[in-house]
Amino acid sequence: MKELRHRFSSGFFVTMALALLIFGSKNSPVVDGFKSGVSDFFVPVLDLASRPFEAADDFIEWTQQVAIVFSENKRLRAENDSLKQARTKASQLAIDNQRLKRLLNVGEGQVNTLAAARVVSDSDSPFFKSVLINRGTRDGVGKGKAVINEDGIVGRTITVGASSSRVLLATDINSRIPVKLASGGLNMILEGDNSAYPKLAFLPLGEHLVIGDLVLTSGYGMVFPPDLPVGQVVAINSEGIKIKLSAKLYNLNYVSIVGYEIIRSPVTSGGDPSLKEINR
Amino acid sequence: MNMGLEIKSEVGFRGALPFLSTLVLLVMMQLQYRVFFLDNLFPFLSLAAVYYWCIFKPQLMPVSVVFLLGILQDILSGGPLGMMALLLVLVRIFVVWQSSRFLEREFLFNWLGFIFITLAFGLGTWVIASIYLKQSQNFWDSFGQSMVTIAVFPVVFLTLGWVRNLLVKESR
Repeated sequence: MKELRHRFSSGFFVTMALALLIFGSKNSPVVDGFKSGVSDFFVPVLDLASRPFEAADDFIEWTQQVAIVFSENKRLRAENDSLKQARTKASQLAIDNQRLKRLLNVGEGQVNTLAAARVVSDSDSPFFKSVLINRGTRDGVGKGKAVINEDGIVGRTITVGASSSRVLLATDINSRIPVKLASGGLNMILEGDNSAYPKLAFLPLGEHLVIGDLVLTSGYGMVFPPDLPVGQVVAINSEGIKIKLSAKLYNLNYVSIVGYEIIRSPVTSGGDPSLKEINR
Repeated sequence: MNMGLEIKSEVGFRGALPFLSTLVLLVMMQLQYRVFFLDNLFPFLSLAAVYYWCIFKPQLMPVSVVFLLGILQDILSGGPLGMMALLLVLVRIFVVWQSSRFLEREFLFNWLGFIFITLAFGLGTWVIASIYLKQSQNFWDSFGQSMVTIAVFPVVFLTLGWVRNLLVKESR
């Protein structure tokens, strides 16, 4: 009798797992809600458990910085001089750009930082690339929002709970991000393939890229704001055009969740306050 | 190990030690270790724990608990819901079915059994992921993950052996 009961329960749970595998992938709100609820519950635990690793990483980084402080100081002084010159030039160009946009009534993209979040968990799977962050709907985060860090794009939110969200990384096989070439403005799509180096797709016929070309977000799709750093072309071979992302996705700490929308304002006769700000 | 003392200690909190130790390993699997390529090769620690407890304490690791742990892993790792649950339940069915061969054997025999199960488990994750994503995935990533799991098994075995000893010591 006990043996029969054991066999029945084993069969029941195998069937349950198979049913979840087949029907759980249908993006049902019930399944998503359940997943988000469980994630919300475990996020504080994961947050606490990941603190020692963050501290260790910070310590290693600090020792590395101490080791190179003198050479880094020299390099930064030289960079500061060149940046001062570039800033003057950029201010002039920004004024011209604003005037021309107003003349053409070009819609202004508005980027809002919805929340800053801490990455508390990693999928640690070769087939599914995502991370869990400790911000959710309670903090204004919604589904399908862009996630970035100080180096560049990270991914977008796919499931959002009250206090946690899952972020699909740019390297995941299901990730598609509209991008452009920094030099020529050529539009393409960045496709994840579960490797550390996602590839570029839809390169127009007759166009060629070279190793070292910089890639930025194009802003199409209204998820990622335009001109965010994406990465650099590192290989062009039979597998495609491979990109090394600017953001180190294996070493994420804090990220920002941003919203992006286009605002078109009617042409007014009065002066633009933003221009006045730049002119100061 | 005195089996009588072990049975006495299998109630209450101590009875939950197999579940809790597996849960701890499962949480450890989800943390970010900030090492390049480690996310592709991180060992299946939950598999090692389920294998261990299904040999030595199958009554404390029932199929419902294994299913629950699998579902939890699927949710926390962002994988397809049911994948780890299915594979871990199958591992439990196999180990309990063959339990007479595994129990009271030397460590090397258990490790050998684990090598076989881990390779099959890695193959299972690769097959399910490929079907789920409708595209053949890199098999060698899965194979590498299995090999790392096999390599860390002695450490998990020793750690869980220490947890199992608590079941006896606490009851004295």
